[in-house]
Amino acid sequence: MASSRKITLRSSDGESFEVEEAVAVESQTIKHMIEDDCADNAIPLPNVTSKILAKVIEYCKKHVDASKAEDRVNDEDLKAWDAAFIKVDQVDQATLFDLILAANYLNIKSLLDLTCQTVADMIKGNLFPVRNEWLNFTFSIANRELVLVCLTEWVAHRRLFCS
Amino acid sequence: MYMNEPCSTTNPIKNLHKFAMKTDTERAAQDEGPPPPPPPLFGDILELTLTRVPLVDLVSASQVSRSWKRAVSSSLRHLNPIRPWLLVHSQSTRTPYAISTRAFDPRSSVWLDISLPQPAKHASTLRSSSSSNLLFILSPSKLSFSSDPLHLTWRHAAPPLVWRADPIVALVGHRLVVAGGAFDFDDDPLAVETYDLRAGAWEACGSTMPALLKDSSASAWLSVTADEDKMYVTDKLSGVTHSYDPEADAWHGPYDLRPHRDVYCCVIGFASGRLILVGLLGCEENVKGVKAWEVERGTWRAREIGEMPPGMVRKMKGERFCASSMSACGAGDFVYLNRDSDPGTAVWCEVVGGGDCRWGRAESPAASGGRGPAERVVFTSSNVGMSELKQALATGDPRNVIRST
Repeated sequence: MASSRKITLRSSDGESFEVEEAVAVESQTIKHMIEDDCADNAIPLPNVTSKILAKVIEYCKKHVDASKAEDRVNDEDLKAWDAAFIKVDQVDQATLFDLILAANYLNIKSLLDLTCQTVADMIKGNLFPVRNEWLNFTFSIANRELVLVCLTEWVAHRRLFCS
Repeated sequence: MYMNEPCSTTNPIKNLHKFAMKTDTERAAQDEGPPPPPPPLFGDILELTLTRVPLVDLVSASQVSRSWKRAVSSSLRHLNPIRPWLLVHSQSTRTPYAISTRAFDPRSSVWLDISLPQPAKHASTLRSSSSSNLLFILSPSKLSFSSDPLHLTWRHAAPPLVWRADPIVALVGHRLVVAGGAFDFDDDPLAVETYDLRAGAWEACGSTMPALLKDSSASAWLSVTADEDKMYVTDKLSGVTHSYDPEADAWHGPYDLRPHRDVYCCVIGFASGRLILVGLLGCEENVKGVKAWEVERGTWRAREIGEMPPGMVRKMKGERFCASSMSACGAGDFVYLNRDSDPGTAVWCEVVGGGDCRWGRAESPAASGGRGPAERVVFTSSNVGMSELKQALATGDPRNVIRST
């Protein structure tokens, strides 16, 4: 039986997670740390909270298990699982964005692709309807400053003109 | 920065009043609740996410805030650049001969329905010239043409002096060249005319078209393309090519460009500043392969730069690829290979690096991808950018002007 080493990951809030090496090396960052022999004790991940790390580990475990099985149908099942995994987070956008940052920091390409695509779809569907509000708001501030400056200039020039 | 701006000549107090009105409406809007903040994405992660957003949606994304605008332009420049669109224009053959347009954006692999302003009342056939993204309608009373990327503006000119049916038309620099398609009994069938866009007038040219091109109807049997200086006309079946220089008013050729005997159909287009010839090998019912050659314009030799992958060629099995229905249109680094009877599929050859090429194929998801029986289809391709999209979206309700299919 192949030895599957256990790696300990420590989140930013001090919680430790023990995972198999195969799951941990889904993250290129952790993989390089292991290769560079920095993984004797727990690997600290100061940028990832325990809540997010738990989700990331859940994702990696599922993908490692899926790649072990040789059934082709798993591709579609995996996609459906990914969609369900990310759908839960659409409700909680903060978690989604934290997942993106974690996937970027840990360098997990498939998770980064999945989360970025989800946010891209939200931008596509204009689920951040900030277009007009932001533009009008910022524009009117510039407008007011411009008008006040013009008024000052006009008053100053008018005095010059009169004298 | 503000001190350099000129003072408003109107009464500044009036401006303040306008501003006061604006805050009132803003206050009213804010009573419904503050607008949601943009997503907390910054820097390279924002740019990475924006690579997956189609160009159409990047227009509104770039208006979210200054940092998003910077992220959009950086993402477009470095990560996922703009690639030329394929525009498929279908014209109904019954009144009012309405034209509907679908577009394919290879950057995000999306198909879009675009509502474009119709050229003024016309009953004649819409045609395209693969050179410079030109769409034109030739009728006895006028010539209407449009060469901007999304065909938002149409120009109207007097018709050419010689009445023509299905002539060779190309936009070469600032001149529109019209040749051939004239009838024997009335006018000189070899007459060539050019319309100078700057002067807005027709000029008859001294040179005459080569007799070889006389009896060909351009849209069916000739492949036409042009760069800034010259127009190139290739006979699709034989590969015999002529070039015309409107500045010098001179025809050159014929050059035999057909690379070898197996090629039964040649179409030409410009990509990456190179003259590319795409040839179909085999026969109409059974296409064995598709290859691309770069033609060196000095020596007129064709150098093979790529071949369509066998997987893509297999998808062409069982369909007829008649030379008369094939055409090519080029923009940027792309040459799109089009077939009139299948407007729902985009096939392209992208010229990369020092003369290599990548092939791609995308099928439209909608059921209406096929051509209706009462429709004529023409193709153009162009570099559609953010400014063109902004202009198009401003022509009407943004949600209806451009819709994903």
